Formats: sequence, structure tokens, C-alpha cells
Amino acid sequence: MPIISTQGLTKIYNERIVPVTALNNVSLDFDAGEFTAIIGPSGSGKTTLLNMLGGLDKPTSGSITINGLEITGMKENRLMDYRLRNIGFVFQSYNLIPVLTAIENVSFIMLLQKQPRNVIEKRAIELLEQVGLADRIHSRPGELSGGQQQRVAVARALASKPNYVLADEPTANLDTKSAFTLLDIMEKLNHEEKITLIFSTHDQRVIERARRVITLVDGTVTTDIPVEKQQV
Amino acid sequence: MALLIKIAWRNIWRNPSRSLTIILAVVVGLFAGIYASSISFGFVDQRFENSIERFISHIQLHNPDFVHDGEGFQLVANPGEKINWLDTSSAVKTFSVRTRVNGIVATAGVTNGAIIVGIDPAQEKATTRFDEWLKEGSYFEGVKRNPILIGSELAEKMHVGINSRIVLTFMDLEGNITSASFKVAGIFKTIDKPFDESNVFVLRSDLVKYLAVPEAVHEIAVLLKDPAQVKAVGDAMKLRWPETSARTWYEISPELQYLQEMTGQMLLVFIFIILLGLGFGILNTMLMSVFERTREIGMLMAIGMNKRRVFGLVLLETIFLSFTGAIGGMVTGVTLVKLSANKGIDFASVAGDSLADYGYGSLVYPSVSTGFVLGITAMVFVIAVLAAIYPALKALGLVPAEAVRKE
Repeated sequence: MPIISTQGLTKIYNERIVPVTALNNVSLDFDAGEFTAIIGPSGSGKTTLLNMLGGLDKPTSGSITINGLEITGMKENRLMDYRLRNIGFVFQSYNLIPVLTAIENVSFIMLLQKQPRNVIEKRAIELLEQVGLADRIHSRPGELSGGQQQRVAVARALASKPNYVLADEPTANLDTKSAFTLLDIMEKLNHEEKITLIFSTHDQRVIERARRVITLVDGTVTTDIPVEKQQV
Repeated sequence: MALLIKIAWRNIWRNPSRSLTIILAVVVGLFAGIYASSISFGFVDQRFENSIERFISHIQLHNPDFVHDGEGFQLVANPGEKINWLDTSSAVKTFSVRTRVNGIVATAGVTNGAIIVGIDPAQEKATTRFDEWLKEGSYFEGVKRNPILIGSELAEKMHVGINSRIVLTFMDLEGNITSASFKVAGIFKTIDKPFDESNVFVLRSDLVKYLAVPEAVHEIAVLLKDPAQVKAVGDAMKLRWPETSARTWYEISPELQYLQEMTGQMLLVFIFIILLGLGFGILNTMLMSVFERTREIGMLMAIGMNKRRVFGLVLLETIFLSFTGAIGGMVTGVTLVKLSANKGIDFASVAGDSLADYGYGSLVYPSVSTGFVLGITAMVFVIAVLAAIYPALKALGLVPAEAVRKE
């Protein structure tokens, strides 16, 4: 059974003025442990699809089911709580909390989830070690490079033990070396911990790592290709 | 909650110059408000202390008709019994027995109406510290026969000085016009010009001789050990002596009580207006802060921080900003009040003697009560909460999906 399933997902903006169809009847299934890249030109609906999958936006029609639970009709407060406990986000601009250190940023999610303090600190350190930042846990985002900040963001996304992680162009602001480092980490986490990763991206480096590539053009899925990859 | 507090406190200092500007504005505004209020309180306290402890006392006993008519024959009934009771009462600190008649003060060229008050010097000194008002001469010493104390305003008007002779003319208790010569032993100057112009003080033992009634008592002024017992003791006296008027200070001078109560309230309103103005500055600062953090707030909501927490975060930041300034302003204000309360502030150079026309001295000791400071603290909290509402609503209105992509 897929962990994420969309049925006839459609999103139309400005319906009454100048309607813009961002997504048109998109039906997709995502299995546990998938590493999926969603590609397409600017304005193709990648971010809109990711927002739908993350419960950040509601479709005009269609449904989204996650682990058998339909989230499309959920009220805002319940949806927020659902996001907190089930979905991890990695943004293009890192979006760390600037006044918190790396470990505090990672712990933040678990504190929102009201996990016990001893569990929080231990897990936060483990995650930062996994992303190679064990020696920078007390650094604030301003003291970290772009690549390091994005790694903290990855650790934060994983802190809540989400069902899946949505990454919206996570390598767009990174140099080549940092981008490869990040992709290595995410691929490793995907392989070892079976975390489902869904990327929206233009980055060929990401596409090459993905095991499934979905192409969106003008809000419609044009191709959906599983890619055979070597194991890491 | 601890995490929100941590984030909120650190967020204030993300733009230190902006935060410090608004904090300083609050410090200065509150300091100015507190200090100005403390001077007003100082005036009120001075007026209150002078009125109660130097003039009215806590309770006064009269013949009920004397309160309305002021006639010389309207004497306190059974004064001896009352004096004995007051002497032995544990609530009474001291009292002064007075004889009062309306009369005329005259010299060779000048006459003036006056209230002639016969006092026991020791009792009066203990009750009202009247001897401290003396500007010239002595407190009934140095003149063997019929010494008189006269106010400086009256002395000037009548062109008299120490050892000058003046004639008092008044009606005795049988209705006969009587005159007697008195010699000025001392000249007093209180902070109440009208009082100085209209009252003269003689020995009660001298005055009653001319009134032909040795036990002529018109007034007994009572000072209690504990001012808080005024109502209880006053009520006890009314019950004990129903034939006598026993009035408390607030019955004699209700405007004093009104002044005391209203001053505090009015000054709190004054401070509130200052804070309201500052509140708009705080609101603006918080609004700018929210707009600058659109992406960050959008991210927080995206990852699952609910609206209650987002609201709480903005509210906490506003409260921290407000209270940091408020604490600075209150500490500065109260410290300066305490420093200047020792020596007082002399307004003589500004107002001269004109304050005495209204019953105020020129030397004022600023004061501010704990209750007033707590009232300000509560108002700062209210203003902070009000100032937080609009920025918080703006934050809650952000759509996470759009906000996270803002530049």
C-alpha cells in the first residue's frame, strides 16, 4: 500500500478573476522508502504539488491520502499537528531559526511534539552526527555555511521521525561540493532508514540520484519513470 | 513554553539598535512620568501631613452647634471627663485643648479681624508641633504677662514685631465686650498664608480669665498613635459622647481624602496616556519585526507550530520589549525619587512664596508608593498585550506556502 496517494488532484488559482490551473488531475502514489524527483520547467506545478503533499495548501478538487488517512478535508489546526508529527520539510532557503543553535533548531520540532528532554537531546546530537555536524552543534545559522545550514535543516526534518520528507529545491543555493555532500547524506538516510524522500528540483545532480523521476508540465504529469540505481 | 521564551527573548536582540531605540523611549517616558508623579504625590503628602498633623489632627471634638455657628458660648460639654478619657486611652498619642473666640486685633493705627485661640503650649507642641512654625521670638517665653503669637502676614500688616503691644477685643461668654492687651512673644509663619493672617495664639489660661468661664473649652484636637484607627476611635467617641460632635479628619476636610484618592487615580491615567503613546511605537516595531520574518514565521507554521504558539511568540516578544523598557524606566524613576526624597526639591526659586497662598510649602519631598508602581506594571502589561495583537494577527494571517518562498 502506498504511503501517499493523490487522486485527481487539481489546483486552480484566482478562479473568479483569471483562473490559473497549477495542477490538473494529478494522480500519483508514493511507496515507503522511495526517492522521487519531481522535475519540470518553472511554473509547471512542482511547488504546488509539494505544498499539497505537505498539507500546506488545499486542492480545488481531488484528494490526498497519507497512510490511509485523507488529509484534504482536515481542519487547519489538525493539519498543523499532522504536519508536525508526520512530515519533514527541507526548504530551498534552509529556513532555520536564526536565534537558535544547530542543536536547538533540531530539538525544536521534538519540543513542539512534547517529547521527553533526555530523548530530545540524544536524538538531536545523533542526527547532527549523521549529517556530519557533530562539531558545530552549538553554532548558530549565521556561523554556518550554506551547505552546513541545509544539513541542519535535513536533521531538523528528520527529527520528528516523519513518514516522508519533502524537499523543495534543496540544492538550489548550494555550491557543487555542498550539494554533493547533502545528496550523499540524504541518499544514505533514504537507503539505511527507508525514509521516503520527495524532491522538487531543477538540479541534474538530484535527478541522477533519484530512483523515480516525475515530470510535470503545465500542471500535468507527462512522465513518471522509475530509475534503476546502484545501491550505496 | 521555555523554548518560546528563549526564542522570543533572543528575537528582540536580532536588531539591537531598533529594539534599544524603543526600549529607551519607554525608559524615558516612564521615568519622566514617574518622577513627575512623585512630585505631585509629594505635594499631596505634604498637604496631607501638614493638614492632619499640623492643623486638623485626626479627630476634633466640639459642641455640635459650635461646628455650624462658631459662637463663643457653644462649649464642649463635660470637658474634664473627656480629657480624663483621652489621657488614659491607649489609642491616643496626644491631644490639645483649645479655647476659641472671634475677635479684633488692634494696634494704634491698624485693626484686623482674627480668631483668637487659647492653647496649652505643651499640649499644642506635642499635637501640632506648632513651635516649629516660629520664625522670630520665642514660644510663649520671654513675656511674663499675656504673651501672644502672631502670624508673620498679620504682623507685617499691623507693623508689629517682637515685644510689640497689641489689643485683643472680643465678646466674653456672657455677651460682654472685653479688651485685653497682649505682648508679642513670637511670630510664626506656616505654609498656609490665610491661616497666618487670621489666627493669633495666646495662653489658654490667660484667655479663659477674660471669658469668665474657667472651663471654657471650644475644641479638643486628638492625634492618634495609629492613623488607621481613625474611623474606629471616631466611632467609639461618637458612641461614648453622643452630646458631642466627634469628627474625623475626613469629615472635617473631605477634600483632603478626595485629593489623596483622586491624585493617585489621575496620575495613573497620566502614565497610561504616556504608555499608550509608547504603545504605538512598540506596535510599529513589532509589526516591522513580523514583516521582516515572514519567511521564518511561514516556516514555523509549515513545520507544525500552531497558531496559538505563533501568537504566543509575538506576544512574548512584545512583552519582553515593553518590560525591558518598563523596568529600566521604573528603576531609574524610583531611584531618582529616592535620591531626591532625602533633601527634597525646593520650588522657592520658581514659585517663591506663592505656593503658601494655596496651603503648600515650597519644599517638596517626592514620593511614590509600591501600589502606584504595581499599577504601572499592570498597565505596561495591558499595553504590551494590546500592542501585540495587531502584529500577531498579521503573523497568523500568513499563508505558510507563500510565506516560505518570500525573499
